[in-house]
Amino acid sequence: MAKTIMIVDDSASIRQVVGIALKGAGYDVIEACDGKDALTKLTGQKINLIISDVNMPNMDGITLVQEIKKLAAYKFTPIMMLTTEAADDKKQAGKAAGAKAWLTKPFQAPTLLDAVSKLVLP
Amino acid sequence: MNELDTALAIFAQEAEELLADMEDALLSLDQDPDNSETVNSLFRAMHTIKGSSGLFGFEPIVAFTHEAETLLDKVRQGERAIDSNLIAVLLESKDHVAKLIEHCLNANGPALPAELAATGLRLISQLNGGVQTAIQQGTGSADEKIFSEGGGEISVDEHWLISLEFKQDSFRDGIDPLSFLRYLKTLGDIKQILTAANGMPSGEAMDPESCYLHFKIAFQSEATKETIERVFEFAADDCEIKILPPNAKIGEYLALLDAQDETQVRRIGDMLVQVGALTEHDVEHALQAQTASVESQTVDGAKPKPLGEILVEQHVVQQPLIDQALKKQEQTKQKIASEANYIRVDATKLGHLINLVGELVISSAAMNLIVEKHGLSDASDIAAGMNALVNSIRDTALELRMVQIGDTFSRFRRVVHDVSKELNKDIQLLISGGETELDKTVVEKIQDPLTHLIRNALDHGIEHPEQRLAAGKPAQGTVQLNAYHESGHIVIQIADDGAGLNSEKILEKALANGLVKKDHGLSRREIYNLIFAAGLSTKDQATSLSGRGVGMDVVKKNIEALRGSVEIDSEEGQGTTISIRLPLTLAIIDGFMVGTASERYIIPLSMVDECIEMSANECEIDEIQHYINLRGRVLPYLRLGDYFGNTTANANQRESVVVVKFGQTEAGLVVDELHGEHQTVIKPLGKVFERLKGITGATVLGDGTVALILDVQGLIQAAIDHKPKALAHKPALRRV
Amino acid sequence: MAIEVKQQQPDSVHLVIDGEVSIYNVSELKQALSNYLDTVKEMQIDLAGVAEIDGAGVQLLMFLKQEAAAKRVELSLARHSEAVVEVLELLNLSTHFGDPIVISADWKSL
Repeated sequence: MAKTIMIVDDSASIRQVVGIALKGAGYDVIEACDGKDALTKLTGQKINLIISDVNMPNMDGITLVQEIKKLAAYKFTPIMMLTTEAADDKKQAGKAAGAKAWLTKPFQAPTLLDAVSKLVLP
Repeated sequence: MNELDTALAIFAQEAEELLADMEDALLSLDQDPDNSETVNSLFRAMHTIKGSSGLFGFEPIVAFTHEAETLLDKVRQGERAIDSNLIAVLLESKDHVAKLIEHCLNANGPALPAELAATGLRLISQLNGGVQTAIQQGTGSADEKIFSEGGGEISVDEHWLISLEFKQDSFRDGIDPLSFLRYLKTLGDIKQILTAANGMPSGEAMDPESCYLHFKIAFQSEATKETIERVFEFAADDCEIKILPPNAKIGEYLALLDAQDETQVRRIGDMLVQVGALTEHDVEHALQAQTASVESQTVDGAKPKPLGEILVEQHVVQQPLIDQALKKQEQTKQKIASEANYIRVDATKLGHLINLVGELVISSAAMNLIVEKHGLSDASDIAAGMNALVNSIRDTALELRMVQIGDTFSRFRRVVHDVSKELNKDIQLLISGGETELDKTVVEKIQDPLTHLIRNALDHGIEHPEQRLAAGKPAQGTVQLNAYHESGHIVIQIADDGAGLNSEKILEKALANGLVKKDHGLSRREIYNLIFAAGLSTKDQATSLSGRGVGMDVVKKNIEALRGSVEIDSEEGQGTTISIRLPLTLAIIDGFMVGTASERYIIPLSMVDECIEMSANECEIDEIQHYINLRGRVLPYLRLGDYFGNTTANANQRESVVVVKFGQTEAGLVVDELHGEHQTVIKPLGKVFERLKGITGATVLGDGTVALILDVQGLIQAAIDHKPKALAHKPALRRV
Repeated sequence: MAIEVKQQQPDSVHLVIDGEVSIYNVSELKQALSNYLDTVKEMQIDLAGVAEIDGAGVQLLMFLKQEAAAKRVELSLARHSEAVVEVLELLNLSTHFGDPIVISADWKSL
């Protein structure tokens, strides 16, 4: 049974690249363009990992993490945040909210897949 | 003894008794394996020790005895059969518990030494699986055993030892230990894994969403420690991760440590991180532990525990690595300490400083003069004090420019190597006295003459191996460079064990060149020194390297330009020794001031042997034979006033003799006045005066007048030569 | 996830767990299974239907084993699914549970 990963990022190109990389590695992928979009797409289906950008319109990544932690069906789902080096305060906030895995942007596909596979093997 | 100590003492005693009973029980079980009472007593021993250890927070004992207890419970329930193998393991376990107790009672931290931990791990695996495997499958293949948690021992020699203690929030944070373990498997082989739920409460208290899982993993992989650690990077907040490199890796790390550069002292942690034995995370973690331990020990300012000790306790690195790193650190420290004593300074700055010090010396002399002249007794003490300070400043300033001659010597290794190859000779260079110091400016100027002399020794001195063997000498020739200090000078010697000089040949040539007359009356030594005369080369055939008849005279001239001298001594067939004497510095000398008529002269103090009044009993002057009889010592002499053509008008002036010495030669200088010691800043004479005989330089005196610095060597020669120009009309002095 | 009681006697119970045993349902499972442990002397759990098991799930099995031992209940796990076997092998826990494991030829890799 293929593992399912949700990628939340306002940049369509990042969603595209991440999506291709993940699908290539054998994961199923659900895309969302911001926190709000992500929450509407979390409809009870099994998701093994949520990858989310930090800075997004409508609902940012940190808020999304806090919201996910309120959802019975997703509160224990591992979350990986995509961040830039500078956003260390965000990182602390995100970790406090429960997102333990962080990946620094920019990254290349192999790095992403390596990081993802530490949490969920395909 | 406080209450806790008392309790601990009781615990230790109780445990000791229980373990002793356990041993007896185990031994009797060997005879009577079905005695359920004996098994019960074994179970109770482990159970009791586990319980009381828990009270004291001795986690390692609790963890281990728990395993033993569990097994013994199974035996008690009849789930496991007891056999001699199991008894052996239990006996070893009993010993292990004793060691654990000892450790917990004596050590500060709960962390176990690697060795103890490894033993524990192995015993646990044997208690848990090994025996059961034997029961279920008999003796399977090695692979099967490992796969089934069985008898495969955890080998810390070849395997990484990874310890993972997940925190309770792990699951809630989306951290599943299983993911990391699966990923770990992509980097290598999990050879053995022990899964434990240490401290998992029973019944209601257990929260299934909390993580109680701990793992100990024997991992075989070529990956670096860093890579292995990165497997768990996302768990870093939720897990205590300890990675102990395989013992087999220690050798590799040690070699890397050894190869680390020693240009800067680094922290132990950084050193071990660089070789890969530790990761940044390990160090950070240990540092936190260190800080925490300091904070918790608020009493009597206890010293923080050394980081190395903490790292070993945390099972992230082995003791030998820490030891080696500490050793290396110490070495580096020492090396740097010796290097840190040096500051690179621009030579021109130093030159400027020394010039200023020179001026200061002159000013100080001027001040003394004024103080004396006006009889300022109040000021004389102060002046004397300042004088002493100026003296030490001068000495120190000059020392700044002192360098060891060793580096210069070492450069000749290459010359000797190349030249001997070119000449098909086998020559070794021996260096001694390399630590001898002299002024850097002198060092620079001596380089060329030295090169020439060494090439000469290689070319003319050392014979070809066949010749040497024929002469009964070792085939390998030796050129020796030596340096030492002697009365304000540095003496550099170039000695070879070659053929030596042929005095006949030199004399023959010198006669042919008209350098000497037939009835020369020269000593052997003087004949040898003829080779420094222009146009004399004794080598029958000039080689490309030396011996074109130019050279030795140039060498001599260069050395004399440094106010030095060169001498040669040789033993035919045995070798030649050339000695170069040079002043230590070119800038300032301690001088001895003398006067004739109104002129004043400076004699370098180091060359002054003694001063005597001419009228004294022990000194007689023979004007006809032109010598001084000084206590039976016969000395050639020179009247300075006559030599420099400023004969004193006052014939009644009481004369004094200054006995000067240069190397092996000496002479008396007859002067009118002795002015005493004088710090002399040498001011070189201009080109115009370059050819002036008997004078090497000048100095400015305190009152602004100029005094000439005497060329002692030249004057001695003039005295010996008994035909000083100014005295040409006088009867010639015969050598005595 | 579902717990189905296949067979219930005064002293023993035979349960079947289906679907997922994970952090999302371990609390529920613990509650249900603990209740049985308090009432029976023998408990068998059929794991053939467990499609997925995570760390929390394994930990629950370990807990059950610990509890059963403390309460002197005979606990046996049976008909391990591929997912369960994979995890037990990963953690080297097969012998800890001591239940015979039957490995099906259909499973992809173990």
